[in-house]
Amino acid sequence: MENLLSFSQVNYFYQTKKDEIFALNNINFDIEEESFSSIVGPSGCGKTTILSLTAGLLKPSSGKIVLDGEEQIDSKKIGYMFQRDHLFNWRSVWKNITLGIEIQKPQNKEEKLAFAEELLKKYDLIGFKNKKPTALSGGMRQRVALIRTLAMEPKLLLLDEPFSALDYQTRLSVCDDVYDIIKTEKKTAMLVTHDISEALSMSDKIVVLSSRPATVKDTLKLSLQGETPLKKREDPEFSSLFDYLWRQLSNEEKGKET
Amino acid sequence: MKKKEKKPNFSKSHKLYVRRLRRDKFIVIFFRIFVLVAFLGLWELLTYYKVLDPFFVSSPSRIIKQIGTMASNGTLFSHSWITLYETLIGFGIATALGYLIAVLLWWNEKVRKIFEPYIVVLNSLPKIALGPVIILWVGAGTNAIVLMCVLICIVITTMSMLSAFLSVEEGKILLLKSMNANKFQILFKLVLPSTMPEFISVLKINVGMSWVGSIMGEYLTSKAGLGYLIVYGGQIFKIDLVMAATVILCILAFAMYYFVSLLEKHYGTSRGKG
Repeated sequence: MENLLSFSQVNYFYQTKKDEIFALNNINFDIEEESFSSIVGPSGCGKTTILSLTAGLLKPSSGKIVLDGEEQIDSKKIGYMFQRDHLFNWRSVWKNITLGIEIQKPQNKEEKLAFAEELLKKYDLIGFKNKKPTALSGGMRQRVALIRTLAMEPKLLLLDEPFSALDYQTRLSVCDDVYDIIKTEKKTAMLVTHDISEALSMSDKIVVLSSRPATVKDTLKLSLQGETPLKKREDPEFSSLFDYLWRQLSNEEKGKET
Repeated sequence: MKKKEKKPNFSKSHKLYVRRLRRDKFIVIFFRIFVLVAFLGLWELLTYYKVLDPFFVSSPSRIIKQIGTMASNGTLFSHSWITLYETLIGFGIATALGYLIAVLLWWNEKVRKIFEPYIVVLNSLPKIALGPVIILWVGAGTNAIVLMCVLICIVITTMSMLSAFLSVEEGKILLLKSMNANKFQILFKLVLPSTMPEFISVLKINVGMSWVGSIMGEYLTSKAGLGYLIVYGGQIFKIDLVMAATVILCILAFAMYYFVSLLEKHYGTSRGKG
């Protein structure tokens, strides 16, 4: 498989009035096409910074980010899904989903709209097409948010802890839903999370970051058995991997305190 | 997702609950009317038996008679119309201009920072102090009254709308940015529609403020209008006229407020916190 995204020797400094914060220190990793990768790390280590850099919302202080063979990041190739669904409550579900199309005004608008409609049908939300998002449950809102992202047909999906606002039960099922949708649509995804089991159950690859300034501590290739994230949790290897990651992360947290 | 049932079978306790709600509502409405009737009745009685001197406090029947005469000789409508006209123009200009200024200040952070202290000063300045200056600049009459009205409403409009614009969730702006939206799109797709409820409440505040503005303006300089009647009535000790004008003012202000609240019903429910 080809690499869709690669970070090479990326450094990033945040500027504040009092200080210059060294956030990312020589970050290197690759993301293959149609893979599901996760980035885990202690809180505040710069995970979201990596997503912002990938989306082109920030520019690296030094180093190279290559997306789909281009150094100039084309934000149309990126779909960003946030912690909160950020649905606009004054727009209908349909108007929310087509927001990206409305903004980017693509040439093939009709095709994109038809595709969005198809997605709604496929993922059982067509009945809510003209409803306001306030009529939906938390899990459904998150699904609408995902379809809004997919409707623009991005090459790479960026997921910034998209389940953290949901309660545990919903979280597991939405996790399955989202995983299923991403795999069915053959998308490449990059997930940022501090939930180790979530990362393990969804990913083909995990990039472990150290605390700030973040460096890549480890890169794990995973091959857990199971068709859904929930099933993967039952793989016998799951718990040993969990232990391994947990120890790595807690060492980092401790290191931060001293 | 909970489905709404169309005709559920009510239990007995639910029936009781609904009945109690209805009874409470009835009590509120009953006493609301009772307070008004009692107040007017007492006023009428006390003045009828000369406990209070109607020369100083007027009375409901005298006010009605006064309004009746004014209606029959046409002065009721001409004076009301003049004040209503001034108020509506002032209200419209102040709301539109104040909103526009808020948008400009939202758009450019530097401009916002430059003007921030001036706006704060203008907000705390009692606008009536500008009265003589206004008359010198635009002359006595309708212009001065409308300008007074605009000055009273515009600063609060700008301040309220600006703070609403600035409190739009950062995450939602980031979402639009990640879709490659420009500032214009962020303004029209997110900032303006999401601050609709704040805009409605600014309209409500402005209804009250614009009446203050136009009456204040008429106190300052006028040859007609409800504010003029009030001042004139006070000067010739015709308290019936003062009271009649005040009652009409109440009715007009309430009607205007009612139209705004219709708008609110239309837009108000379209946004929860999201």
